[in-house]
Amino acid sequence: MNQPHIFHEIDNAMTGLKDKVLLMASLTRQNLERAIQALLTRDIDLARMVIGDDSDVDDLEVKIDQQGMDILVRFHPVASDLRLVITSMKTAHNLERISDHAVTIAKRAKKICKSAEPLETTIIEPLYTMAEKILRDALLAYTDANTDLGEGLKSCDKALDAAHKEVIALLSSRLESSGGRAENLLHLILVARSLERIGDLAVNIGEDSVFLSEARDIRHEQRKGPAPVEGQG
Amino acid sequence: MHDLLEKPATAPTSTAAVEIRNVSFNYGSSQALKDITLDLKKNEVTAFIGPSGCGKSTLLRCINRMNDEIVGTRITQGEILVEGINIHHPSVDVVKLRRDVGMVFQKSNPFPSSIFENVAFGLRMRGERNNAVIAQTVEESLKAAALWDEVKDRLQESALGLSGGQQQRLCIARTIAVKPLVVLMDEPCSALDPIATAKVEELVWNLKHDYTFVIVTHNMQQAARVSDRTAFFYMGELIEFSDTKRMFSNPRVRKTEEYITGRFG
Repeated sequence: MNQPHIFHEIDNAMTGLKDKVLLMASLTRQNLERAIQALLTRDIDLARMVIGDDSDVDDLEVKIDQQGMDILVRFHPVASDLRLVITSMKTAHNLERISDHAVTIAKRAKKICKSAEPLETTIIEPLYTMAEKILRDALLAYTDANTDLGEGLKSCDKALDAAHKEVIALLSSRLESSGGRAENLLHLILVARSLERIGDLAVNIGEDSVFLSEARDIRHEQRKGPAPVEGQG
Repeated sequence: MHDLLEKPATAPTSTAAVEIRNVSFNYGSSQALKDITLDLKKNEVTAFIGPSGCGKSTLLRCINRMNDEIVGTRITQGEILVEGINIHHPSVDVVKLRRDVGMVFQKSNPFPSSIFENVAFGLRMRGERNNAVIAQTVEESLKAAALWDEVKDRLQESALGLSGGQQQRLCIARTIAVKPLVVLMDEPCSALDPIATAKVEELVWNLKHDYTFVIVTHNMQQAARVSDRTAFFYMGELIEFSDTKRMFSNPRVRKTEEYITGRFG
């Protein structure tokens, strides 16, 4: 646990920034959960609510960027303070994109709900469960600067990718004999695609949380090997 | 030819311009530096940071033996080498050492003479009598200090008529006129406005290709901007010495982190 700053206004600004990210995370998770519920329960009103509430998430992203800029300008943060500002702004950006995917899911849910044909929407439920867990853990990694949790998300995302492939294969095979249901199956494929992307974006948050905690950049590590620690020497 | 070395400045020695080896220093019975070891690499800017009384200025003043002037002070252990030469060796002339290890102080201190004579002073002290050489060196030094364009038409006017920032750059010109190995700067911008500060920083950045700089500063942003390496001192001890980028993004030692982020209790 860090000591408080001598100039307490810095602590107030940092806490304010982090609180906004957590609020944004909470709204994003809620949007995602409601989008999936709208799809599974054929609730058009709930889907409309998700689409309408996305603007709250967008507003928060703008506010977080503004507050981050203010902190950079006023306090010239360094070390862990600087990493918190940078990570918070990047996390907000990833959350905004996740919420956009929730909107995409809600829009597809609306279209599916309007169709009289029943559809096996529960096929995508396991994908949601996996994506939601990755997102929850990523946010926990950010909140607690938990390196182990942040680093472990890549393997969870691989499992999500594999499950996504299976679902896409299953839905694609049904397309051939779908008759009038082809359009709805395509909507469901796009829902699955959004859930897969949410997993990727949540992994980004987890990776940034490792940077927050240890100043270690683990992005693209599989491709290039472990990154050297910046400026060591 | 450098006074201290009595050999051309281009003669290769080690990669460190200054090697500080296990130095402890006392003001009377009070220990101000405790077993300090660090190398100052050639053509780099090294920043010394730390709270007041941590020993950073004391160490700076040890490098050109300025502390010799203070009664009751002494290095109690260790040695300091400049270009491999022990500065406390009996054969080392302190006056010559201070030409090779120049110093710029917190408050600019031009002599009460003309701008030209301020810069020419060190050359004349060294015995240079050729006026053409002196004039050329003065011009080169003032250009290197980014002051030439501002003073070229009034070189014979009093240096005391210059602004604070100009006076500080004149002191830098005076220091580099004698082609030192190392330039020590003790809070050189603490009395300057942001524009004058930026000019001094630009100067240091450009001149490091020819000189080795050590800068004591209380301004963390200045240390981050201008230095290649940073040393953090606390209560006479060297707590951390590392690449500046690393120091200000991910310091190794908790005390350093607390100091640079303003959490120091």
